[in-house]
Amino acid sequence: MLQARRLSIGYGARKVAVDIDLAVERGEVLCLLGPNGAGKTTLFKTMLGLVPALGGEVLLQDRPLAVLTRAEIARAIAYVPQAQVMEFAYTVLDLVLMGRTAHLGPFAAPGRIDHERAEAALSDLGILDLAHADANRTSGGQRQLCLVARALAQDAPLLVMDEPTASLDLGNRLLVLERVRALREKGYGIVFSTHDPDQARELATRVAVIAHGRLAAYGGPDETLTAETLSDVYGVPVRLERTESGRRVVVSARTNDNAGSD
Amino acid sequence: MSLGRRQTLALLGSSFVVRPAFAADRTIVDSAKRSVTLPDKISKVFVAGPPASVLAYVLARDAMVGWVREPSAAEKEFLAPPARDLPETGRLTGRGDTVSLERLVATKPDLVLDFGSTTRTFVSLADRVQSQTGIPYVLIDGKFDATVPSLKLAADILGRPQRGAELAAYADKTFAAVDGVLAKAPMDKRPKVYLARGPEGLETGARGSINTEIIERVGAVNVAEGLGGHGNIANASLEQIVAWNPDVIVTLDRRFFQNVKNKPGWEQVRAVAGNKVYLAPSLPWGWIDAPPSLNRLIGLRWLLATLYPDEAKTDMRAETRSFYDLFYGVSVTDAQIDRLLGGKTG
Amino acid sequence: MAKQAETHRRSAVVLTVLTIVLLAAVLLATVLGPYPASVGEVMGAIVRRLSGTTAAMPLDTILFEIRLPRVLAALLVGAALATAGASYQTLFRNPLVSPDILGVSAGAGFGAVLGILLGLPVLAIQALGFAGGLATVLVVYALARALRSQNEVLVLVLAGIVVGALAGAGISLVKVLADPFNQLPAITFWLLGSLAGIKAGDVRVVLPLVIAGLVPLALLRWRIGVLSLGDDEAKALGVNVRLVRGVVIAAATLITATAVSVSGVIGWIGLVVPHMARLLVGSRYDRVLPASALMGGAFLVLIDTIARTAARIEIPLGLLTAILGAPVFVWLLARGRRLWS
Repeated sequence: MLQARRLSIGYGARKVAVDIDLAVERGEVLCLLGPNGAGKTTLFKTMLGLVPALGGEVLLQDRPLAVLTRAEIARAIAYVPQAQVMEFAYTVLDLVLMGRTAHLGPFAAPGRIDHERAEAALSDLGILDLAHADANRTSGGQRQLCLVARALAQDAPLLVMDEPTASLDLGNRLLVLERVRALREKGYGIVFSTHDPDQARELATRVAVIAHGRLAAYGGPDETLTAETLSDVYGVPVRLERTESGRRVVVSARTNDNAGSD
Repeated sequence: MSLGRRQTLALLGSSFVVRPAFAADRTIVDSAKRSVTLPDKISKVFVAGPPASVLAYVLARDAMVGWVREPSAAEKEFLAPPARDLPETGRLTGRGDTVSLERLVATKPDLVLDFGSTTRTFVSLADRVQSQTGIPYVLIDGKFDATVPSLKLAADILGRPQRGAELAAYADKTFAAVDGVLAKAPMDKRPKVYLARGPEGLETGARGSINTEIIERVGAVNVAEGLGGHGNIANASLEQIVAWNPDVIVTLDRRFFQNVKNKPGWEQVRAVAGNKVYLAPSLPWGWIDAPPSLNRLIGLRWLLATLYPDEAKTDMRAETRSFYDLFYGVSVTDAQIDRLLGGKTG
Repeated sequence: MAKQAETHRRSAVVLTVLTIVLLAAVLLATVLGPYPASVGEVMGAIVRRLSGTTAAMPLDTILFEIRLPRVLAALLVGAALATAGASYQTLFRNPLVSPDILGVSAGAGFGAVLGILLGLPVLAIQALGFAGGLATVLVVYALARALRSQNEVLVLVLAGIVVGALAGAGISLVKVLADPFNQLPAITFWLLGSLAGIKAGDVRVVLPLVIAGLVPLALLRWRIGVLSLGDDEAKALGVNVRLVRGVVIAAATLITATAVSVSGVIGWIGLVVPHMARLLVGSRYDRVLPASALMGGAFLVLIDTIARTAARIEIPLGLLTAILGAPVFVWLLARGRRLWS
């Protein structure tokens, strides 16, 4: 549904990464990994059409982004940015209602249907009781969920989430991840970026690793999230271990706690 | 003489301001070529700005409604009652209005008198106020050279033709005296004058400005050149003043006058060295300026006597006494004349 | 669900109350003034006017040529400035922004004082003021676009500061060149803001222009609010950011330039009134817009009434709004961001 073809991303003269090919379909989760500064956010912005591509193209349902209007794009892709403090005191419901903009006529304001969709989205994420709270006064996790709710209210089949669990405590992190899984089950297409390879392994259908200015790896989690790739990408030696439940996790290869102190 | 029906109606109608139903109206043409319809008899004059207040005072002070700014106690000493005790009514010139138009209408004057600039801004302002309030608004040219025709026109409008003739005759004589002296004074004896304003004396009026036209009229050379001939208040540096080297300094500020000999650097100026710094009298109105109106006529004589003492041979005391009597309606005592004319160094 | 309806109803109630307050202010202003008039006399005059019998009564002149045009102008100018302020605060995501941020007041001021310097008729002075305001913002906008930065909003603000400063320098130059006796007082008073010289003809021009500016803002009220989330988020939510921003700047500039050209520079309304509006109806722009317009109109009507009745002479409006507005603003700052975010 959303596809990047030989995409080069960057700002003006500065190329951040080149020659990226990836795609995401409904019901799939594409996870973006990479070190800080590799270009994950730039890639998101390019795929949303917020920043022009320096080369190659982005196709939405086989149509180049460049020919689509903002409203058309918004009806297909919803963006969940990292939560920030806003200059104005909006209620949670007001914030989520803004997600309905793409479905409103140019001179319209939200009506009954829009309110229903917004409230449904909040209820879906279990935060309907926050509807009339000041969005700036909610906790980080709650605010992130508000933004997810807004993306849901947007009724777009594809969700792009920029590090949705950054700076969240354990409880909120697990909550968000659980919601992402639920959305995947429901048939949404999701692209999200993370620093945690274990998260990626758990949720992703496909993983794209961006490093050193190009796509270092692209494929299923097992083939991409190998110890060699991860060590190379992050510049830190790592290895994979299997937990008791059979899951594989990443640990540092430098110190071996079991080796004793000599 | 009993009033006929028509006159009674006219009198009743005269209490309304809008579309006055006077039986006898007249139309005059003011200095800005505007045709204005006025009542025959003018008994209430509203002055628009300080120059107009001087004009109204000298011509028809019994008809004045108020002052633009209430005169100070020192000024009132040289003004005649009851006019001197009139209230303040504010300024009506340009968008520097401090007058509420409602108050203007409530005062029910016969006309608004404005004396000064007749540029398009003021013409359109006059038209606006007139059409909004229904009160006739008259603009009279305030340039010094136009003093005589302006006096006659204003007197005619205010219904005081003899008074106007009297004052115009004085003005004519004054100008004639000036021209006479200038004819006798050779070109190289025309003094270079610097007009010092403000306590530091560094503010001046450039050549061509309304504040210093009197200097040019008296045949002196204003050392301050304006910007492209467009005169204005300007700031000068001491260095500049020394370069100009005026023969005479005329100042309006008492502090400057008292301190100039002690101010470092000023002794370089010929006027200071030669003791030719003069303080212009200023009560009730400035003799040179402030406001630039008919008060300058006595200032002209004073400048003449000061700049050309040998040729002019003026008895300033007598001149002052007769001017204040004729124009301002006050008899000045010797002590008062001393105070007025006390502004000579050395 | 019930709470949502409750919020809606609360906004509707607030707006209704504000409308009533505005009408009351207008009525009060119509009967107050240096020329005494009772409500009955005013009603009588209005009836006379409507029935076509124009009597030669001084009250009629005062009411219809002087007072009513002035009250209506105060309403329009107050509404225009407050709305422009609310719009710019949303657009620039900064509640501390005034309508002058892009230099429209400085530019209008420069145009008008230039007209006074050149000795032009009053209509030309107003037209120059209007043109100056529009031209300044046009230059700012063109400059910002030409610089083609990623952060358009920041570049707009900086360009506004620069061009506004130039216009301010122009005003100072004009003040130096002006005739100190005739022109300088006019210039000074104009820059302090006053509705003293308003006549009916002025209102006839201001009304359609202000409406022409308010209509686009009202139509786009939802999308303008979304703009306050930031360019990226707004675009991702489906808003044509560049178009909406352009419309807001054009409309806000139009109404501000119109207001400034007839009333001179009146500060603080555009800055403070939207805050007061937010206190009543919350931060959503589609509610702040009508609330600001109503409150701004009522506020200036009342202030203008004070300006023309409190003393024997006219008090400049800019002075009164500063005396009242500045302490309120300090209080808002002291209360902290809690008030608006």
